[in-house]
Amino acid sequence: MEYQITTKDNVASIVFSGDITFSENVSFRQLLKDIAEQPVNRCEFDLSGVDMVDSAGLGMFLIAREQADTAGWKLAVTGAQGHVASMLKLTKLADLLDG
Amino acid sequence: MAIKPNTQTGNNPELIKSVLGARILVVDDMALMRQMIGMCLSRGGYKNIVYADDGDEALKMIEADMPDIVILDLNMPRVSGYEVARTLRADSRYEGLPILVQSASETPEERVEVFAAGATDFVSKPINQPELLARVQMHLQNRFLIESLTDFRARMQSELVMARDMQQSLLPETPSVREIERASGTKLESFYRASFELGGDLWGCWLLPGDCLGLFVLDIAGHGVGAALNTFRVHATMARFQRARSDPARFLTELNNILVPSFPLGQFATMFYAVLNYKTGDMTYAGAGAPRPMVIGDKGVRLLDSTGIPVGIVKKPGYVNIEDKLQPDESLFCYSDVLIEAPQPDGQMLGEDGLIAWVEEEASKPGRNNLVSRLLRRFFEGQPTSLPDDLTAVAVHPDRECRK
Repeated sequence: MEYQITTKDNVASIVFSGDITFSENVSFRQLLKDIAEQPVNRCEFDLSGVDMVDSAGLGMFLIAREQADTAGWKLAVTGAQGHVASMLKLTKLADLLDG
Repeated sequence: MAIKPNTQTGNNPELIKSVLGARILVVDDMALMRQMIGMCLSRGGYKNIVYADDGDEALKMIEADMPDIVILDLNMPRVSGYEVARTLRADSRYEGLPILVQSASETPEERVEVFAAGATDFVSKPINQPELLARVQMHLQNRFLIESLTDFRARMQSELVMARDMQQSLLPETPSVREIERASGTKLESFYRASFELGGDLWGCWLLPGDCLGLFVLDIAGHGVGAALNTFRVHATMARFQRARSDPARFLTELNNILVPSFPLGQFATMFYAVLNYKTGDMTYAGAGAPRPMVIGDKGVRLLDSTGIPVGIVKKPGYVNIEDKLQPDESLFCYSDVLIEAPQPDGQMLGEDGLIAWVEEEASKPGRNNLVSRLLRRFFEGQPTSLPDDLTAVAVHPDRECRK
């Protein structure tokens, strides 16, 4: 997994690429820390470059959502396609993560 | 330069103790050299020093009681230092034994030969005492550190193996599976393999009143000790609500009620639970985000809808029962996601479509009752021996004589 953050007007856009799996645990938590240190009110996760996400990866998105609720910013998950889209659909997590 | 007792071993008092208590074998045919090296080592704080006059004696002493390091002269009558080094390196028992070679002539060719014979390091004669001490200390430290890491690793490994065995013991045992098969007139084909780390897969099957059997598969997100411990938690929790077993949605809901407050954030279980009437083929099932189970018939494959919020995330996941009917030729096949997500030899994952293609191909061949083992044989042909996650695959095949 790789990601790029760009922040503009308190909106952080994070563009992911590669696979998001259990082994990305540490770097994902680092990402959440980075977000926490910035004055954001909205975060957009762009998943259009992600090929696959496993259940641990979905768990990390849930942690992001929880952090959003606690810190008072909005999370939006966009661009999911292929395997990622079907995982989000199968687990009904798309609605849960967005908002 | 004064020789100080050896205390440069960092902050680890245990390591200092081990290093200074190390058994050092000094091998030299000249009494004066043995004496000089021995004195240097005792001044450095070493107490356990033994001596050998030649290579032959050295090998015998090593055989009788292995030292922690050998300081070896090269030119000795009968068995030379080179031969000692070669003999030791040919024996796996002495793999980690440091051999510090001392020699007077020091050409580049000789150095190459010394290392080729298996020496760990080299000091030149005349002996520079602080240098000798520094090298002895460094090699002993390395040896003890590697030893303690190796011990630690072996202990962790054996604990993981034990934990994996315990986890495996949560799965249905062969006698109970046979009993279910006998009572229900079905064939249960199951496969489970733990990943190299601990994982979080679980499946189970039980007989229910009214000619029914219940079958569930679940996969706890992530792996490692946390996921494995939660597998035990889920297993224990499930035993609590026997009465909900005939109603899949209720079963998932009750499990969810208990797990939501106890699962840490980001952890959850994807699950599928079905209640099948083995006489009529009527089936009620509910899903919580498990990979879509397949119903495999003579004419092909259809998918069941296992969509649902995984267990352990939200308080009101809204699980619903879905009705289905297995025809007399149809098998139910459930599996965990690693089967479609593990990279194939081409680097791509198989995916659901890829797996369906495999299943249809295998189902067209004779022998439905070993369909899963044929599928997995094919899967493992393209896999390294260790999987990134647990693999579970379970199928209920109809006994075609029974269900009419």
